[in-house]
Amino acid sequence: MASIFATIIFVAMFIFIVTEIVERHIISLVCAALTLVFVFGVGMQSMDAVVETLNVHSIFNSGFWYHSGEAAESASGINWETIIFIFGMMVMVEGMAKVGFFRWLCMRIAKMVKYKVIPIFITFMVLSTILAMFIDSITVILFLAAVTIELSRLLKFNPIPMILAEVFCANLGGSATMCGDPPNIIIGTSLGYSFADFITNTGLIAAVSTVVVLLYFYFVYRKDLAVKTGESVDFATLPSPESAITNKKGFIISCMIFGVTIVLLITHAQTGLTVATIGVFVAIVTLIAAGKGALELMKKVDYKTLSFFIGLFVVIGGLEQTGVLEVMAGFIGKISGGNTMVMIAIIIWLSAIASAFVDNIPFATTMIPIIKSLSVTFGVDLEVLSWTLAMGTDIGGSATPIGASANVVGIATAAREGYVIKWGTYCKKMVPATLIVILISMVVIYLRYL
Amino acid sequence: MGSQLIISVGREFGSGGHVIAEALAKHYDIQFIDHHLMEEVALERNLNYEELKEYDEKEKKPIITRRIRGLSNSPEENLAYLQFDYLKKKAVKGDSFVIVGRCSEHVLREFKTMVSIFVLGDRNCKVKRVMERYNLKESAAIKLMDEKDFKRKRYHNSHCEGKWGDSRNYDISVNSSKLGIDDTVKMLIDYIDMRRGKMD
Repeated sequence: MASIFATIIFVAMFIFIVTEIVERHIISLVCAALTLVFVFGVGMQSMDAVVETLNVHSIFNSGFWYHSGEAAESASGINWETIIFIFGMMVMVEGMAKVGFFRWLCMRIAKMVKYKVIPIFITFMVLSTILAMFIDSITVILFLAAVTIELSRLLKFNPIPMILAEVFCANLGGSATMCGDPPNIIIGTSLGYSFADFITNTGLIAAVSTVVVLLYFYFVYRKDLAVKTGESVDFATLPSPESAITNKKGFIISCMIFGVTIVLLITHAQTGLTVATIGVFVAIVTLIAAGKGALELMKKVDYKTLSFFIGLFVVIGGLEQTGVLEVMAGFIGKISGGNTMVMIAIIIWLSAIASAFVDNIPFATTMIPIIKSLSVTFGVDLEVLSWTLAMGTDIGGSATPIGASANVVGIATAAREGYVIKWGTYCKKMVPATLIVILISMVVIYLRYL
Repeated sequence: MGSQLIISVGREFGSGGHVIAEALAKHYDIQFIDHHLMEEVALERNLNYEELKEYDEKEKKPIITRRIRGLSNSPEENLAYLQFDYLKKKAVKGDSFVIVGRCSEHVLREFKTMVSIFVLGDRNCKVKRVMERYNLKESAAIKLMDEKDFKRKRYHNSHCEGKWGDSRNYDISVNSSKLGIDDTVKMLIDYIDMRRGKMD
């Protein structure tokens, strides 16, 4: 009975998220409330399941803030470590945006390459990849796409190829680290991996893929990016990078906070600080530095996304507690016949295809208990399945305009300036790029781990 | 014209709202903007109008559209906002114009110099008008009328808080079938003149 309720609520949640009848955070919170009442209350009649899924007690555990040894796997239910970390990063990013950091960085790079289109194209792809390793891809694309359009008007080139390449690279960069893409944060905190674990595994795959992707986009877009001949550009009209900085003191402080955050993330396995601690630290320091502007920064935090996560964790907790995900894991195991190679192929392609059409966050959250179960049942290394899942969900989203947040933001930023990116235009170049990176990921996983 | 005047005209298909809006623009000698708005936006921004026009005044397509932090990948929605921004910029500049549709009564609601009008009509009169204007049989005219109104309603309601045609959203709603097109125009001119007196 409880498992039927959990499945119905989960499927309904997905359908409503896809149809966007109401905003996704409302859907997930309503579904979470239904899970608490019907799955845990009516179906299981278990208060323990409610307490375990809400997982509030974990926050009061010292291990939540500091690991003395190996990072531990978190219990099922709401992953507060993820929520707190993302909150902290959102505050930091808002602080950086307010002082003009991102616009300055883009303009600085454009100036550095002497406003030449192809070098801008290449450096912006690299910039997108690197920034997305530490900052959410939405923010990266919001600024990169806006600057790209501004430069395209001044330098007279078509901004669409550049924006699409930046979007792809943002998704690719996000796959490289634990904090780059929400699925990675959830995988990392749920299964107890460190920043170093990600960078040495998915990071390596992303590095190889970035080289291939840079070449791919260069060859498919070099003709589209040709500047119209005969039109001279007055470089004096181009905005100076410094003009982007709104507050010099705040800018320097923001750069320092960003630098310290990266160091803390890279060394968190050694220092023992959890990502929740880093998130809280980053938020507090940014708010103190903002002074009177702290309230404004707090208001800009995307609470809708955070509440979406909370609701989602409860709904997935319902599936986990009722054993539905174990059944699904058993099904994947049966199809693969217990063969690790087939299992990896199924997980990576299933994740990629699903993430191309539905939000990769609920998908990854659902898949975590499944890969855990597969690992226990069939004796497959959980780490291998984790990197497979991370690459599948992070990269698969690049294939379609609705697959990942960065895609939607890039397309919207372009369209609001009159540059329409149709589904066909998008998929024509992005689907092959996605297939290439998924294939690279699969080959690297096979060669390195099997 | 001395002071700014913006006239926003919403209309049911076949009600003569477009003709009425055109007559008002002629009377006040101000710019008339209808479906050419997109063309104007494209020209201003050096964009390809042919590529943009297929998304004009259309509702976003569900399922293949996703929204993130208030941003959407729907061209229909983004181009609607592009036009709204253009209208706002024009209004801020102090331009006078008559604008047909495009959620203008909602988009320009903060401008005190705007008069918003909704033109409706009796169903039989609208059908007759559509039959004559498009040389259609009655059934085809009804079909076309219902389709157009359905699309306008969906487009409007997806971008505005108020509902399309709801009299509470407009300064004046008028049934053009009762007075006929010419007298409706006269009545609206009287109303607009009185309103302009109060604007000063």
